[in-house]
Amino acid sequence: MYLKTYLNYRNFLMGYKMDIVKAKNVLYEYIRRDDEGEVIGITTAVDHVNMDIKQGDFIAILGHNGSGKSTLAKHFNAILVPEEGTVIVDGVDTSEEDKVWDIRQNAGMVFQNPDNQIIGQVVEEDVGFGPENIGVPTEEIWERVEKSLKSVGMYEYRKNSPNKLSGGQKQRISIAGVLAMKPKCIILDEPTAMLDPKGRKEVLSAVHELNKKEGVTVILITHYMEEVIDADKVFVMDAGKVVMQGTPRQVFTLVDDLKSLRLDVPQVTLLAWELKKRGINLPDGILTSQELVDELTKLY
Amino acid sequence: MLRDITLGQYYQTESVIHKLDPRVKLLGTILFFISLFCFKNPVGYAIAIIFLAVVIFLSKVPFLYMIRGMKAIVVLMIITVLLNLFATKGDVVFSFWKISITKQGIIMAITIALRISLLIIGSSIMTLTTTPNHLTDGMEKGLRFLKVIKVPVHEIAMMMSIALRFIPILLEETDKIMKAQLARGADLESGNIFKRVKAMVPILVPLFISAFRRANDLAMAMEARCYHGGDGRTKMKPLKYQKRDAIAYIILFVYLAVSITLGRLWLFNIM
Repeated sequence: MYLKTYLNYRNFLMGYKMDIVKAKNVLYEYIRRDDEGEVIGITTAVDHVNMDIKQGDFIAILGHNGSGKSTLAKHFNAILVPEEGTVIVDGVDTSEEDKVWDIRQNAGMVFQNPDNQIIGQVVEEDVGFGPENIGVPTEEIWERVEKSLKSVGMYEYRKNSPNKLSGGQKQRISIAGVLAMKPKCIILDEPTAMLDPKGRKEVLSAVHELNKKEGVTVILITHYMEEVIDADKVFVMDAGKVVMQGTPRQVFTLVDDLKSLRLDVPQVTLLAWELKKRGINLPDGILTSQELVDELTKLY
Repeated sequence: MLRDITLGQYYQTESVIHKLDPRVKLLGTILFFISLFCFKNPVGYAIAIIFLAVVIFLSKVPFLYMIRGMKAIVVLMIITVLLNLFATKGDVVFSFWKISITKQGIIMAITIALRISLLIIGSSIMTLTTTPNHLTDGMEKGLRFLKVIKVPVHEIAMMMSIALRFIPILLEETDKIMKAQLARGADLESGNIFKRVKAMVPILVPLFISAFRRANDLAMAMEARCYHGGDGRTKMKPLKYQKRDAIAYIILFVYLAVSITLGRLWLFNIM
């Protein structure tokens, strides 16, 4: 909390927030070839996307399947390199091959399937995997592992086998694994898609906590609207393009546009919107049920 | 259920042998094997048996538990023993119809039986007292000298530990696919062996596809966490020799020297 306040204060003094990730005119295409190597189809996954992400922000990228949001995310830690345009992570261009490991340390990534990203056979070993790779001395690895496991609330499970944990717990281990590398920014590529509602809640609250307490920039890619409500900024993607951006409130005001993109709005927002259409005088972009209750009690 | 299976045959208890560095156990097992093939008289085997008995006692693994590993090779052992018994030429002790048993044959058969059982028990002590994890660590560090001749030791060890991590996951997946196919009317149990093998195809194909997909995901996740081979990598749990490992090495070499010298002395030869 203090850190975020400090960062905001510092940014206020400096007049602007530092850019942690900057995507400029990014284009990426998947090219399908037949057996002879002839091109038979080109899918533009990311189509001239511009995005500035400030240090310490909680960013959400929304989009339904195939909107290019995951492909874009893979550009943020140099797993993919854009065909046109540039991606700059913490001042480093991702196309610089010798800087790849710096970029990946600064921008950690959590993937969708918890089973396919845990390498260690014991929780603590898995969290230690990243620091081992970047050559952190042994004692410091232990410190980092302890700290990151505590910050996602999984310290009691450090000696367990990951196979015996729930999906939400496994995903928190993955987050701890990224955190142990001390990244400035964490990219979460649909981290909750394979989890039950309880696991989803666990993971999200862990992520929010990190953002607030440690000041880590979070880029959350998702198609669940409910997860976006608390974000600082939302980008909506469709067919490889950014079609909307703004605060959650600004974006969720445009219920019709979201519907045309085959995206749902949170239930409460939808209810408020429907009520408003029927002539009840409610403000736009209601995000939580508490807000709706407050607004309604004001009216009656 | 499937989730609870233990890998290898690690027997969980606290003992001196369990605490030893995996490199000591690895080298110890190899040297023990070598010693078995050097003996020329019963004294050597007697020393080997005593040595093994002491190690078993120290490891606190119940002897019966250890013997279980022998079950699998009983048939193999009987065949080798019988072959040696009947096919060795020499001084005939007993003959019946076309079969004759020689003195050399008897000695040979006993030797072989002893050797095989000592080999099996010797290696199972290692797997019973070392977790698979520790074993791969020990291999990685203990066999590092092989890097000189371009053996990718780190990569092999990494592959082994990933395989160990994914065995339970893939088993669970097999279980799921099996149930899914059974639910669609697949018949896995009736028919002769060929039919049953054929019935496995609809299980293996999706299993392989999913395994490849997992491998792809895992490779990406590893790269995202800066994995770039064994160079410049530090260890969270580095292997360090303790005092007990030094003592174990000394005991091991004393055993090796004593057993091989006595085991090869013609003085004790009975052949």
